Amino acid sequence: MGAPIWLTASFAALMLTVATYCAGRLAVARRWQRPTELDTDAGHVLMGLAMAGLLVSRLRLLPAAAWEPIFAAGAAWFAWQLLRSRRRTAAASWRCLHPAPHLVECAAMLYMFFAATPLTARAAVTGMTALPPSRFSVLALLMALFMVGYVVRVADRLPPRTPTPTPAMAPAPAPTPAMAPAPAPTPAMAPAPALTAAPANRALAFAVSSASPAPTPTSAPSDALTSLDTPATPETSAPAGYAPTAARPQLAPRCAALCKIAMGLTMAYMLVLML
Amino acid sequence: MSQSLAVGDPVVRPAAAHERVAAALDPRRALQLALGALWLLDGMLQFQPSMFGRGFPQMLAGSAQGNPAVVARPITWSAGIIGHHVVALNALFAAIQLLLGLGIAWRPAVKFALAGSVAWSLAVWWLGEGLGGVLAGTASPVNGAPGAVLLYALLAVLLWPADRLPAARHPADRHPADRHPAARLPAARHPAARAPAAPFTAARAVGRPVAQASWLVVWLGLAALELLPASRAIGRTIADTTPGEPAWLTGIDAHLASALTRHGLLAAVALAVVLVVVATGTFLPCRPARAIIVLAVALAAALWLAQGLGGILTGSATDPDTGPLLALLALAFWPLAPSPGRT
Repeated sequence: MGAPIWLTASFAALMLTVATYCAGRLAVARRWQRPTELDTDAGHVLMGLAMAGLLVSRLRLLPAAAWEPIFAAGAAWFAWQLLRSRRRTAAASWRCLHPAPHLVECAAMLYMFFAATPLTARAAVTGMTALPPSRFSVLALLMALFMVGYVVRVADRLPPRTPTPTPAMAPAPAPTPAMAPAPAPTPAMAPAPALTAAPANRALAFAVSSASPAPTPTSAPSDALTSLDTPATPETSAPAGYAPTAARPQLAPRCAALCKIAMGLTMAYMLVLML
Repeated sequence: MSQSLAVGDPVVRPAAAHERVAAALDPRRALQLALGALWLLDGMLQFQPSMFGRGFPQMLAGSAQGNPAVVARPITWSAGIIGHHVVALNALFAAIQLLLGLGIAWRPAVKFALAGSVAWSLAVWWLGEGLGGVLAGTASPVNGAPGAVLLYALLAVLLWPADRLPAARHPADRHPADRHPAARLPAARHPAARAPAAPFTAARAVGRPVAQASWLVVWLGLAALELLPASRAIGRTIADTTPGEPAWLTGIDAHLASALTRHGLLAAVALAVVLVVVATGTFLPCRPARAIIVLAVALAAALWLAQGLGGILTGSATDPDTGPLLALLALAFWPLAPSPGRT
């Protein structure tokens, strides 16, 4: 008995959505001149396409032999970034702040292509609905546990709502109307100029928040979490007084976090299928 | 990809501050996240292909065996319904567990998710695990009694985000925002300043007596179950967990089973004594209590190994069994700071 086709197809559709969205982020970041983690977004584009192909054989774009060097290069890149981050050098906006999870993601992709060769051969016929168990199931379990832990960590730091931009944190003046800050999705946000960009861009800009200090008391879930620490996103963990007025707001950090959650859950699902 | 894509000035992010905050994560929040991760893992395991087959309702129906009719009848009834709609209902169950995990991880939903996890756990404990076999006389700590889901519910209560007792925190562990002068309340006006600090994380929400009582019930209950006649055949119980497991785990469990088969009663009594010792842990001063908590974590790891890692590598497990939950429970009772005069 294999997993239902609709289930694997749903995960594949989710991965294609993530890949498309991340490709859009790359394009919008270039057009709007907004910082985003380029290596993360590019990695998610590739992983989304590869995982969709693993889940549903008809969606396979490239053979495993073509994906393996890609993810090996990705793993090397994130390993290099991890070594650099150990030196405590300031991270540029276009590189991911936490490369370790992406390193594990690339390793998991390699695992799925390498260690489960029978898997890929069989998936060519049946998709990922009836998989033989891997000989390295403990490795799959460890990576699945890591991905699950990564998902809860990202979800824990997901801001409950877009923080109200303060004057000190206001985005840099927009050179074109399309670069204007997005309107607030919640009533807590101050009114903003109407968005003139295309609907796709509007979605990308939905959750824009700035490199701002910790959320104000009105935006924190203080009633439910009086004893909890403030959400510690890279955007919200800046110490008081940190006000990079010249900094541009990160491109849709909440949507980026949701992509990471979707990617992590799907990867954990695929790894659990290989136990 | 070039840096020109990122446009202009590189945004220097406050990585160092971020790392400091991450390092100072509230212990209760860390345990909540671990609980959320376990729920997510449960959801993923529920999505395994074997759960969409006839074996899943049969497994549920099997938990009715040996239970009193008042307990067994609802189990059989629910297993019948699940058997008729196994694909849809199993997908629903998996989705619920995923949502519980994500809800616990997402701060605005943590109370709702913890409350939901208590209700879900109790329902699964009855309808899915037959009350852990406690009333059937087949319960043993080695085969997962009293049921992992019961521990999920207990942890959800103990880790509830409310403060009957404030956390005992070292000044250096405080959140950077707390150290900001504007964020401080005068000590005399702070409601937590007048209450004694919680001796361990589990006491923060329910208070020390209730937390200690729950600890005592869990570990003494495990000791009592271990002394039941059915639990004395530890070797056979361990041997029964091996089908479908990887060779290395089968080998470990086979060696363990053969070593304990001849001394089943002695092993059961020894394990019960260790469980009783662990049960006394939260009543001891700080240092011995920490040693007992370490012992509890080690015992939980040993039990998990004896349980074949909960069958998680067989492709047919719905949860990782009690081992990780007992370890998480033990960590919730880790003494936070030595009480004055009790070191």
